Amino acid sequence: MKTTPVYEQIEKFKSDLDTCTKCGFCMSACPVYQEEKVESSVARGKIMLIRSLLSGELEVTDELAEQLNRCTLCMTCAQNCPAGTHVPSVITAARADKVKRKGVPFPYNFIFRWLLPRRRLFGWVVRFVSWFQGVFMPKTEGTIRHLSFFLAALGKGRHIPQIAPKFLRQSVPEVNKPPAGTPVTCTVGYFTGCMTDFVFPELGKKIIKFLNNNGVEVIVPRGQGCCGAPVFLGTGDFDTGRKMADANVKAFQDLDYVITDCATCASAMKDYVKFLADNEERKQEYTEFEAKIKDITEFLVDVLKLSPSAYKVAPEFKGKTVTFHEPCHLGRYLGVKEQPRQILNSLKDIKYMEMPDADRCCGMAGTFSINYYELSKKIADKKAASIRSTDADVVVTDCPGCQIQLIDTAKRNGMPQQVLHIMELFE
Amino acid sequence: MIDARKIEKLRKIVGKENVLESVEQMVAYSYDATNIWSHLPDVVVFPTKTEEISEILKFANENGIPVTPRGGGTNVSGGSIPIKGGIILCTTKMGRIIEISKTNLNATVEPGVVLQDFQEALAREGLFFPPDPQSFAGCTMGGVIAENSGGPSCLKYGVAKQYVLGLEVVLADGRVMKLGGLTPKNRTGYELIMLFTGSEGTLGVISKITLRLLPAPRASKTIVAVFSDVAVAGETVTAIIASSVLPSKVEFLDSWTFEKLRGLLPDYVLDISQVVLLIQVDGLPQTVDAETQQILDICKQWAREVRVAADADEAEKYWQARGAHFSDIHSRAHTIVNEDVSVPRDKIADFIRLGRESAKRHDVPISFAGHVGDGNFHPAVLTDSRDKEHYQRALKCVDEIIDIALNLGGVLSGEHGIGLEKQRFLKKAMDPLAIETMKKIKDILDPNHILNPGKIWEESKE
Repeated sequence: MKTTPVYEQIEKFKSDLDTCTKCGFCMSACPVYQEEKVESSVARGKIMLIRSLLSGELEVTDELAEQLNRCTLCMTCAQNCPAGTHVPSVITAARADKVKRKGVPFPYNFIFRWLLPRRRLFGWVVRFVSWFQGVFMPKTEGTIRHLSFFLAALGKGRHIPQIAPKFLRQSVPEVNKPPAGTPVTCTVGYFTGCMTDFVFPELGKKIIKFLNNNGVEVIVPRGQGCCGAPVFLGTGDFDTGRKMADANVKAFQDLDYVITDCATCASAMKDYVKFLADNEERKQEYTEFEAKIKDITEFLVDVLKLSPSAYKVAPEFKGKTVTFHEPCHLGRYLGVKEQPRQILNSLKDIKYMEMPDADRCCGMAGTFSINYYELSKKIADKKAASIRSTDADVVVTDCPGCQIQLIDTAKRNGMPQQVLHIMELFE
Repeated sequence: MIDARKIEKLRKIVGKENVLESVEQMVAYSYDATNIWSHLPDVVVFPTKTEEISEILKFANENGIPVTPRGGGTNVSGGSIPIKGGIILCTTKMGRIIEISKTNLNATVEPGVVLQDFQEALAREGLFFPPDPQSFAGCTMGGVIAENSGGPSCLKYGVAKQYVLGLEVVLADGRVMKLGGLTPKNRTGYELIMLFTGSEGTLGVISKITLRLLPAPRASKTIVAVFSDVAVAGETVTAIIASSVLPSKVEFLDSWTFEKLRGLLPDYVLDISQVVLLIQVDGLPQTVDAETQQILDICKQWAREVRVAADADEAEKYWQARGAHFSDIHSRAHTIVNEDVSVPRDKIADFIRLGRESAKRHDVPISFAGHVGDGNFHPAVLTDSRDKEHYQRALKCVDEIIDIALNLGGVLSGEHGIGLEKQRFLKKAMDPLAIETMKKIKDILDPNHILNPGKIWEESKE
């Protein structure tokens, strides 16, 4: 007798699965389909594969897992879908059901289950590996990949991140007060994310200083860890993701705001409630947590409502032309589109140039770029063409993941542009 | 089934990266944009040049393997479904725009170019290719020609076949045939190009296309008119065209799609109305202004609300609501039977009235939308194929609607083509001698019937 398989997570997004009419609107926008031109790359094709799982026509095979992984979750398909089908949710859910059946492959299982949730231990491993960086790998500045799976990358002969000599958490105290004489207007928690902590600590220090100078007391809770994006979104390991979510919720429980400089971290943490809430208690905790999360530009523009004079461009960027790459997680997921542009347009000391297709995916997408580095590079090269067309000196973004991809892209293409986080423009 | 040795041969032709055969990949090539048809192919091949198409077809022809040509697979006729299995020949990797000539007003493209990409490339040059099927975001040029696509703009500008200057076609036995040329006038021999525009992939595989272009209109305006009565909306369209104005588009939306117009038009008007007409005029700015005024004057006599979109952004919102109609309707029922009849313009009101009566008789929900300016309608019956009784009533209603259209002097398919979806109606919609002639042409060009078998006409049951 044939039994219909149960896919617990996919079932939760059944309405998204059902609304797709296969009209093909998703084809024009999907960065993966644009490169591959194969139906299983595009949202419509993935929906049909997942429907076939539910009907029992297909099973979770390696090939199916491959097709589920072959997506940057950039959400452009959902944005273009006339039926309002949210394909990224369905794919994330399908990844989770796949993990339930097949487990997490090595070395991700080791990294995700043991290292990432243990922040200090992870830091030690990162440090340890950094000592041997020059021994095993070319120590090339710029050609760096996402940190949370750099160990996986190790086995594949890729470049590993240029680890900062001193991590952010070792460089700043837990409580960072505004300078003497500046009244405290509010207190926020700063979620540093793996990237800023281990690779870009100077960015973190700059953000703390900027906030302090504008009357914001900044707490860097020691209990915070990885946001979990590569774990539950990228790989579908919801069990480990839930542990990480709980740790972060606890770390920020006494704070009203959780400020991030990474759009991916912010949107992943906002998605805890959508994917990881397995009981009423978690649902409530995650919902309350979600409301506290603010991207840094969103916080500066919408909450602090800073005047243009608050943004002092660092001397080395004065007179430069600057363009902006809008991360998928920032624009499409968080809906933060205007705030960074408002800041950039208000700066008298730089010239802001909007690049064509500024919101197009850069192809990083965390785990995706490790699994499909060649494809990731092709997607990035379209972004390179957009950047070139602006003749900008500097490309800024609001996600250290995108930043790493853009640094890599600029380097590979011999482009002169400097790639920075938007907050690095300021003194 | 195709054995491993044959698949190996296909790999030799196109390279192993251009052959798919896993069951997961076959599932992804088993459907189009219809919702009841599906069938797995045995293998999918992606040729990257004409010579490869030629070798694939030669091999398939010698071995009697069915070949279903396919581009974006956005068609709504079942036409690209490999109903007999075999090879899907997918042209999406032949995506080069070979040339766009502003002085000759023509362009040459490969079949896998996406229509939207082509239109964007032309717009940068101030040029224009009018056919605009609602699948423009994913459909490819080979399909646009082989399905002879239409769309809203065809009211003023005509359908795809009116723009084809030249074709390169690979015949079923692998021979490559060149037709037409680069010039807008060409009276050399039979109009063989017309055999392939609308051939639905049954006569050959289009490998290169040369198209006539137009200069892009300098200006356009969108007029929105809301009517309380369907028949009055139909009469308004007739009056507009009788007044010697030819809008580029006149589209019809019924109350099923009004949700998408909320926020754009006042709720109190939408709540008590049945139809919205979206009208676009284009051309030189002064002509556009004059024609807009003329249309406004006519609409104001009968419409409950008339307005002109203030700018391109506002106009785009109305057109997006129109573009979303298809998926909007589809998301409201498990199964949609979507028809594509076309009736003479002066029969529009009769057609809608009789169609609604039929739906009422069979107690099934029906939505009317379409290109009312040229009489091409997409009545959609909402049903559920799992509920046999309801589904049977829906099919009966559709049968009647087709009869109504034919009795009013209309045709079975305005723009979607026959494929699988409409083949059961072909006999009553086409002269038997014409069907016989089509079959004879098929026998000449594809004697082994390998190309898209099982489409257009029903196969005899012996």
